[in-house]
Amino acid sequence: MKKKIITFLNSVFDFIFGFLILLIFYFISFYLLRLLKINFPPAVIGLVLFSLALILGIVKEKRIKSACNFLINNMAMFLVPFIVGLISYKAILEKNFLIIFLAVFLVTTFVIVTVGLFVENGLKYLRLYRIRKLK
Amino acid sequence: MINPFGFIASLVYFKLAQKYKNIPFLKLFPPIVVSGLCLILTLEIFKIDINLYNASAKYLTLFLIPATIALGYPIYKNINLLKKNKRIIYLAFVIATFVSIAATYAFAVLCKTQLNITESLMPKSVTAPVAIEISKSIGAIPELTACVVVLTGVFGAMFGHKILKLIKVKNDTAIGLAIGCASHIIGTSKCVELKKEKQIVFSSLALVIVGILSAFLIPLFLKIVL
Repeated sequence: MKKKIITFLNSVFDFIFGFLILLIFYFISFYLLRLLKINFPPAVIGLVLFSLALILGIVKEKRIKSACNFLINNMAMFLVPFIVGLISYKAILEKNFLIIFLAVFLVTTFVIVTVGLFVENGLKYLRLYRIRKLK
Repeated sequence: MINPFGFIASLVYFKLAQKYKNIPFLKLFPPIVVSGLCLILTLEIFKIDINLYNASAKYLTLFLIPATIALGYPIYKNINLLKKNKRIIYLAFVIATFVSIAATYAFAVLCKTQLNITESLMPKSVTAPVAIEISKSIGAIPELTACVVVLTGVFGAMFGHKILKLIKVKNDTAIGLAIGCASHIIGTSKCVELKKEKQIVFSSLALVIVGILSAFLIPLFLKIVL
């Protein structure tokens, strides 16, 4: 029983600690961008810095694992208020429904086809090139 | 005291939509769309003011900031995969970002769309938290961006694999990259559903890297063309 409580408290502590680390990266990026007077999403810079910190071993994986997994797995939940917020933009949406629908349909298909064909054929070409080189 | 209605309702509706996602008709849509639409219906039916909902629901969206930074973790975990065939993979990221931005802009110009709507459409292939940050930084409408991002994700998840099958793309690396580049986290969730390990890894890497590239390239592109 005592062991279970200690394991539970440890996981709670790890989660809070991981969450705080992520927030620290946000504040570092926020003040860095403000200092340099650059208009850019601080969370994206935070993401780059956080990846670098993990790769360089500054931040340990086991410390942030539970917080990161929780946030990534529940990402869609944090977006619900944005979908509901669309009510305020009902008029714009109704007016531009066809454009939005076509943009989603055509451009997404175009991106999927371009990237799919490029990587598939690129990898095939590379494989053939390596085989020829070996011969 | 702040009315907690919006916060609690969003959590409850989303968890319910997740729980009942296997019901035949609901299966067609991801839980975020089902819960969002149900909440809109509730607000409309009971004539609840959107400001009352937003008073506490806005705190839920604050979690998107650490969630964006947390995406660094899958990058770190799969950094080795990026080293193999790196030229083609890196080129695919650049091509996907550029094609998505340029094609959306060209389409919007052809349709003579208003500028703020064009700007809102630009980050449509970027994962939602980053897309919303980009939308805010370029002065677009974040709510409209969120809607387009979700629609793009749903489209990719529903039809992405079918389109790739139609054009005979079979390599898991190519499928993962195409889905991740075009339809971000919602498309990736489809790869998770299909249990294709390689597709999941490349799709999650693609959504993160395309997100970062777009955050740099969209403001630059708009500066050049406007």
